[in-house]
Amino acid sequence: MIEIIEHTADIRLRITAATREDLFREALRGTIALLQPQKGEREVQCDVRIEAGDPTVLLVDFLNEALSNAHARREAYDDAAIWSLTDNRVEARLLGTEAIAFGDDVKAVTYHEADIRRDAHGQWYTVLVYDI
Amino acid sequence: MEKRALTKVHDWLWEIPKSYRPDMRVPARVYTDEKMLDSILGDRSLDQLINVATLPGIRGWAIAMPDVHEGYGFPIGGIAAVGSDDGVISPGGIGYDINCGVRLLRSTQTASSLRERLPKLVHSIAREIPSGVGRGGPLRFKKNDLDQILRDGATRAVEIGFGTDEDLDRIESRGAIDGADPKFVSDHARGRGGDQLGTIGSGNHFVEIDRVDRVFDPAFGIEHDQVLILIHTGSRGLGHQVATDFLRVMVGTMQRYGISVPDRELACAPFRSPEGQQYFQAMAAAANFAFANRQIITAGIRRAWKHELGDDLEVIYDVAHNVAKIEKHAVGEVLVHRKGATRAFPGQPVLIPGSMGTASYVLMGQQGSMEQSFGSSCHGAGRVMSRTRARQQVTATELRDRLQKLGIVAEAGSSKGLVEEAPEAYKDVDAVVDVVDRAGLAKKVARLVPIGVIKG
Repeated sequence: MIEIIEHTADIRLRITAATREDLFREALRGTIALLQPQKGEREVQCDVRIEAGDPTVLLVDFLNEALSNAHARREAYDDAAIWSLTDNRVEARLLGTEAIAFGDDVKAVTYHEADIRRDAHGQWYTVLVYDI
Repeated sequence: MEKRALTKVHDWLWEIPKSYRPDMRVPARVYTDEKMLDSILGDRSLDQLINVATLPGIRGWAIAMPDVHEGYGFPIGGIAAVGSDDGVISPGGIGYDINCGVRLLRSTQTASSLRERLPKLVHSIAREIPSGVGRGGPLRFKKNDLDQILRDGATRAVEIGFGTDEDLDRIESRGAIDGADPKFVSDHARGRGGDQLGTIGSGNHFVEIDRVDRVFDPAFGIEHDQVLILIHTGSRGLGHQVATDFLRVMVGTMQRYGISVPDRELACAPFRSPEGQQYFQAMAAAANFAFANRQIITAGIRRAWKHELGDDLEVIYDVAHNVAKIEKHAVGEVLVHRKGATRAFPGQPVLIPGSMGTASYVLMGQQGSMEQSFGSSCHGAGRVMSRTRARQQVTATELRDRLQKLGIVAEAGSSKGLVEEAPEAYKDVDAVVDVVDRAGLAKKVARLVPIGVIKG
């Protein structure tokens, strides 16, 4: 689930999912959706492998890698096949379509306020602030 | 934060003492009037400023300008000077849009002489200057050629035919920050933005044709009713990726240097460390890319101007508002981080873009800035309303009507981008500028009002 929370200058999302893998996938969808891609028909994929000091940094770095590839390769990812996910490493294949254009810009996913937690119902969640 | 935490130093300056939080190394100061202070207290700007006051090696104060608003890590409109030997460099203190900045051009036209030809002129400029998200420009550079741009900035752009040596005399640091090293700009950054030279991008970036509405203090050859052109853009995707790359590096290495910060987005490394130096050299390269970008955009505007009106444009000044620079101040040599703040050395033009449909300002830096704000001033109007709320409150049709009634010709890539930048989303730029003028940081030279806007 993706909720938009007010931010004076930028965008703040709260991402919630049943598993940590799903949190990564949902956050990926939320991030790419902010770019408002005009999707083409050609299917694309992009393999990423990220290592980081803790799960929250891992998520932010994973999303920034996806964002960078989306911009550089003109691709819109709407899912990921996550092959391996630990506290410090993620290996995944980003899946999507070519992007003919983007309607909005996202400069980066920031570490500000990002903090992966589980709520009383066992749901995984974090807030993400984007520089737009 | 509550207002009672602040002490009024004088009518335009408020201070949060170092004792407010145990990890503060210096007090935090905000230049504002009391009315805007109430608005500033409405978001987390000052909590973020207090976090900045904890950075290792910070000198004097963590400073916020009247256009301050909540960011992520540093507030937007913040200044931090750290000792060049014992301080840190923080990519978040510069921002993702490295050397986002403003350039002002002078024409020989008056607003009345342009009136009939304005729509065609705006359209012609829009055709010359690609805008919009991730939009590449017509120029393609091989790796070595891009390296030269990253090393020499606007100087290289002039060498390959975009402008003249006289232009360089009117750019901060002559359009090239010393110490740039292209080898620290990643392939990712080159792939993301290397083809975006000569483009303005989206968001609050624009090219604006302005009329001089009022002259407060004649300077820089600016006269009443004269037509000037304002360019607001930065280092595009290349700079965004340089910041992302090095924030990641610093988040991973802070612990090794025994540094802890209250917000990861303040991640930093000692300035003299390998990571600190590599980031500084990459940041300088991205800043040079931005100077070259504004130089190449200037060439495009000149082509359109020449084609439509048969005359030329002169550069008045070009200044960054997201950058870190080594400077000498009363406290010694420092690395001044300006994130949404403009260098305002005495006598220097300070360019303050306002919101579309209100006003922009040309100021002149004053001695007071050297004594109070490490030679810095504000950078714009400062947002008060989220983009989401702006879209809820303003429709594109209503805004276009309003701009038309004000005599403003607007060409925007998207209606969404237009309404997000509606005037009501910003603070009152007149009030912002009044504060820096009265505080003695920069004095008012001229007030500009838009007559033509080109946006992504």
